[in-house]
Amino acid sequence: MRRSYCVAVAALACAAFTGVHADETCNSPYISKLIKGQEDYVYVWTLGIEGLGDGSDKLVTVDVNPKSKAYGRVINTVSTGTRAEAHHMGLTDDRRHIWAGGLSENRIWVFDIASNPAKPKLVRTVSDLGDKSGFLGPHTYYALPGRMLVQALSNTKDKSGKTGMALYNNQGKFIDAQPMPSSNGGDGYGYDLAVNPKKNVLLTSSFSGYANYMRPLGELIKDGEAMKNFGNTMVVWDLKALKPQKVLAVPGAPLEIRWSLNPKDNWAITAAALTSKLWLVKQDAKGDWNAKEAGTIGDPAQIPLPVDISITRDGKGLWVNTFMDGKTHYFDLSNPEAPKQTYEKVTGKQVNMISQSWDGKRVYITSSLLANWDKGGADNEQFIRGFAWNGSELTQKFEVDFLKEKLGRAHHMKLGSRALYAKPKGG
Amino acid sequence: MRAFAFAVALLAAPAAAHHVELLPRLEFVPPAPGTYVLHHIMAAPQGTVLDVDGNAAPLSRYTRGSITLLGFIYTTCSDPDGCPLAYRVFDALKEAIGTRTELHGRVRFVTLSFDPARDTPGVMSRYAGSRAVYKGNGLRWYFLTTRSARQLMPLVEGFGQDVRVTRTGRELSHVLKVFLIDRGGDVREIYSSNFLHPEVVLNDIETLLAEER
Repeated sequence: MRRSYCVAVAALACAAFTGVHADETCNSPYISKLIKGQEDYVYVWTLGIEGLGDGSDKLVTVDVNPKSKAYGRVINTVSTGTRAEAHHMGLTDDRRHIWAGGLSENRIWVFDIASNPAKPKLVRTVSDLGDKSGFLGPHTYYALPGRMLVQALSNTKDKSGKTGMALYNNQGKFIDAQPMPSSNGGDGYGYDLAVNPKKNVLLTSSFSGYANYMRPLGELIKDGEAMKNFGNTMVVWDLKALKPQKVLAVPGAPLEIRWSLNPKDNWAITAAALTSKLWLVKQDAKGDWNAKEAGTIGDPAQIPLPVDISITRDGKGLWVNTFMDGKTHYFDLSNPEAPKQTYEKVTGKQVNMISQSWDGKRVYITSSLLANWDKGGADNEQFIRGFAWNGSELTQKFEVDFLKEKLGRAHHMKLGSRALYAKPKGG
Repeated sequence: MRAFAFAVALLAAPAAAHHVELLPRLEFVPPAPGTYVLHHIMAAPQGTVLDVDGNAAPLSRYTRGSITLLGFIYTTCSDPDGCPLAYRVFDALKEAIGTRTELHGRVRFVTLSFDPARDTPGVMSRYAGSRAVYKGNGLRWYFLTTRSARQLMPLVEGFGQDVRVTRTGRELSHVLKVFLIDRGGDVREIYSSNFLHPEVVLNDIETLLAEER
């Protein structure tokens, strides 16, 4: 009986996605369209440099399809006309738009990547985050169904690390704000957020405020008082209710959060920047969530500064970039409680973000951390580099020199594809 | 306690027990009704739809005045985690609401096709079967379609229900989304498959009803 109304025409198959997958493994699980094959583009959110090109922050589109005549080259740029410490971006759940923001102010730029994926268009600027929430420095843009959850780093009042999350709908209308917990062990800081919908858990991490991240790094690390102003917590939230449930002690500024995408797993991993440690957040047999130090990245005494991490789609491997020594590390996560480094390579004089394709065969790396934290002189390389990964060796396939091309500092990346966008037929 | 009572209500009827068997297990305890906020996400879009008899009407006729659970489907969908899952959840909710007299007349279901070329009113009528017939069990279930893609697209885009034709041109690829709409016509929750569970939806319906008290 059920089949009679559900499968009226057996020759046609429904390809509905269930929302539990992600493509580029770092994206929200609510993002609908998967790039499971070869991506065509990498969108690079780029900080402007005064006196270089137009000096503005911009979204740079790089052709990364080896079959394209433009492979490894910049094919489009969209300038914001301002310089606002461009940092991270996120895809909406329908993957039609990219939201991108800067840390030095509160504007969020919304780019249409569906109309022509090769040439994104700036279609909207959301500028009421500070007025509506009191927060400053939008950082993470995390798609929820029909909405975007924005994690900020600071606040407009004192520019410290006390901050919170703001919820917008996909049309850019502010819905609500939620401060990070400052009691029961909470330190009020924010950085990244990531959702495990199956468990109804939102996990957040913690960094520092405008007063720190906008200071030159060399000056900051000599300021003992300022160095105390970094987050040392992660928070487990009830996603549905958007209420904090438990504060976890994770010292040393835990940054990017990656849930294992293996349906059987119930854990997430993060890297603490200041202590160079990997931390595992896992649910125990009683259903309680706990954080546990799981491993070390490089030599913490040398402060390698782990920045971005990228987990493989099966949850068995983890890429880690360390900014100071320019190394890209690969960890075997077969036992997430004891990750083992199995590979490392110097991929730049300074490296920050790392993204991998869904199949894990391609790895993209960019160079910039923050305008005032990037290295100087010849060490200030600015690039995106594309690598092939065969399971044992990273081989560079292309590079775009963002200084030579007069673009700026290459930061966050998102992948794009031409094949994702079409409309239904019929009348 | 609430969850337990709900499970008992479902298991009380043989048909409902069948649905419980089919639905994925919920791996968390959802927050209790009224202990959380359902945000005003957006207004439900405007447009024209056709009922199973081919009568045209504004969609607002089906999204205002009662709490509405609206899902897009297409009748040839066979992915068990897609449209059929939504159908099973709607069926289970219908059974549950039938046992809760305080909910009678306060909730409606809307199933809207995003395949106007194939899903004519007649096809939708056959797809609905007896579900479209009101049997006095406190809940009306409307099966709607549109005259054309031109009429459909503002609704699809307005709800943010993405859909695309796959390369073969024979499949409609979409993310499962179900929309909870309040009496005023505002979307208050959007369910993906992980949250599309009768217990979660019923809690949300009760949360909206609590606002009206």
